[in-house]
Amino acid sequence: MIRFAERFVVFFSLACTALLFFCIAVVTVYVLWRGLDAFSISLIFGGVDPLDALLGRRPVFDGLFPAIVGTLLLVVSAIVVAAPVGIATGIYLADYASPRWRVTLSALFDVLAGLPSIVIGLAGFTITIYLHRLFPGRIGPCLLISALSLGFLVLPYVIRSTQLALESLPATLRLTAPALGARHWQNIYRVLLPASTSGILGGIILAIGRAAEDTAVILLTGVVASAGLPRSLLEQYEALPFFIYYISSQYTTTQELEMGFAAAFLLLVLCGSLFLLAYGLERLLARRFVFR
Amino acid sequence: MNTVTDVITQPAFPAITGQRDTMAVTKLDTPLEKTVGNPFVEKPRMTCRDVFVHYGESCAIKDVSIDVAGNEVLAMIGPSGCGKSTFLRCLNRMNDTVSSCRVSGEIRLDDMNIYDASVDVVPLRARVGMVFQKPNPFPKSIYDNIAYGPKIHGLTRNKAELDEVVETSLKKAGLWTEVKDRLAEPGTGLSGGQQQRLCIARAIAVSPEVILMDEPCSALDPIATAKIEELIAELRTQYSIVIVTHAMQQASRVSQRTAYFHLGNLVEVGATEHIFTNPKHRLTEDYITGRFG
Repeated sequence: MIRFAERFVVFFSLACTALLFFCIAVVTVYVLWRGLDAFSISLIFGGVDPLDALLGRRPVFDGLFPAIVGTLLLVVSAIVVAAPVGIATGIYLADYASPRWRVTLSALFDVLAGLPSIVIGLAGFTITIYLHRLFPGRIGPCLLISALSLGFLVLPYVIRSTQLALESLPATLRLTAPALGARHWQNIYRVLLPASTSGILGGIILAIGRAAEDTAVILLTGVVASAGLPRSLLEQYEALPFFIYYISSQYTTTQELEMGFAAAFLLLVLCGSLFLLAYGLERLLARRFVFR
Repeated sequence: MNTVTDVITQPAFPAITGQRDTMAVTKLDTPLEKTVGNPFVEKPRMTCRDVFVHYGESCAIKDVSIDVAGNEVLAMIGPSGCGKSTFLRCLNRMNDTVSSCRVSGEIRLDDMNIYDASVDVVPLRARVGMVFQKPNPFPKSIYDNIAYGPKIHGLTRNKAELDEVVETSLKKAGLWTEVKDRLAEPGTGLSGGQQQRLCIARAIAVSPEVILMDEPCSALDPIATAKIEELIAELRTQYSIVIVTHAMQQASRVSQRTAYFHLGNLVEVGATEHIFTNPKHRLTEDYITGRFG
């Protein structure tokens, strides 16, 4: 009986893993297969010479290049906003907050993590309208407001992962530096934070994925179907998820739908590369901590 | 009035009930009786008077008074949960990190009351260093492990001075010849005994006056233990050492004076050879002869 139970557990967990892997493989392969016909240099750069487009000498109107750049800018600026604030808040929760505050705030941030992105989009939209009234003609829906809203959307992931990483450090490591006379902030900055790098970067990787794929927030705060490359943070922009949404709801020919699939695959590749980058950074930082 | 025998029959008694690793705390706030033997010395480095430690409502240390002399090894022994580690941690205010912990009484290092409101724990912990039960090197290089303390206390002005501090500390800890060619390798890659000597070198690097050791050998094999004990004997010429240990043979080998703790009380203090050959108190005798503990 016990042996049967053991076998059942092994079989069940293996089956679940296999099913999940199968689903991921099906989605990826299907997207790639449907979009395969649309893949070409002109999918990205339209009729413009790639070198000219990359150097910004000529604008791209009928390719995905501005959307790719827009998504990248969006992710980077959202992380630049969310990472420092999130890590600082995580440190506060793990190391300074009183137990009651810790419980209350942690619960609040968990609620924030579960907030539908359209709600955050609406909040960003409302702020945009307010700012537009305050500075008419100068501030409207733009990259900056999208980045701030997205940063807010991913903040709970960074906060909670930082907090968890710090709290799960072994108690002996926590006491080591104070026993040598380190102050609390010295302990955090020199010992605890470096030791929890991988946990914190795990949260940032989640945040990157969330910021790259979210459509609802940017839909209400500044993305448009055709804008070219943004020249500043106060301009409208294009983004891959919005292009996918737009083309799949408005397509008129099969070629356009195929472009949507190709864009979806590009978004997957983009996210994958960002994950790899974050992973590489994690390895680099971990090594630096040990061998500095 | 509680007598000694009352306490022994109490169910909270850790050694009998098997709750070995839990902090035994009783509701008895009153000391059982006077400490047997003379806990005071002629020229003390640290003096502790009427020290009580409470965790919330429960009392973990009851009215303990004892001196730590210069250039001596003072061993603190007793059954699990007797408060010896708690008391050790009072000596460099490591108990400050536990929010429910309250310490009363007076502990002086030379002429400074270390629990005075004006005392900064940072220089205090540089003067009273600590070595833990489990070797706990930072996940950094051997060099950085030693350099950490001098860096945060600003003890050195340049790289050359820091190099020198690292070298002397490692030499004092008897580790220099073993690691001098691999200072850049991670400290966590050393063997358990080497790691513990690295931790001792790290504590020495900030030039402490007193070194507290909380069961420094309990995670080590006999050979590594012998090396640490040798090292303790050498270090005594320059520092005062307070060591908490479970191994009575170790206490008898390394220490000059021994203090026996029982349920938060300091039962007996005396010269080590007297405690082990001719204990005055019945509890001490029972513990030493292996009747419990």
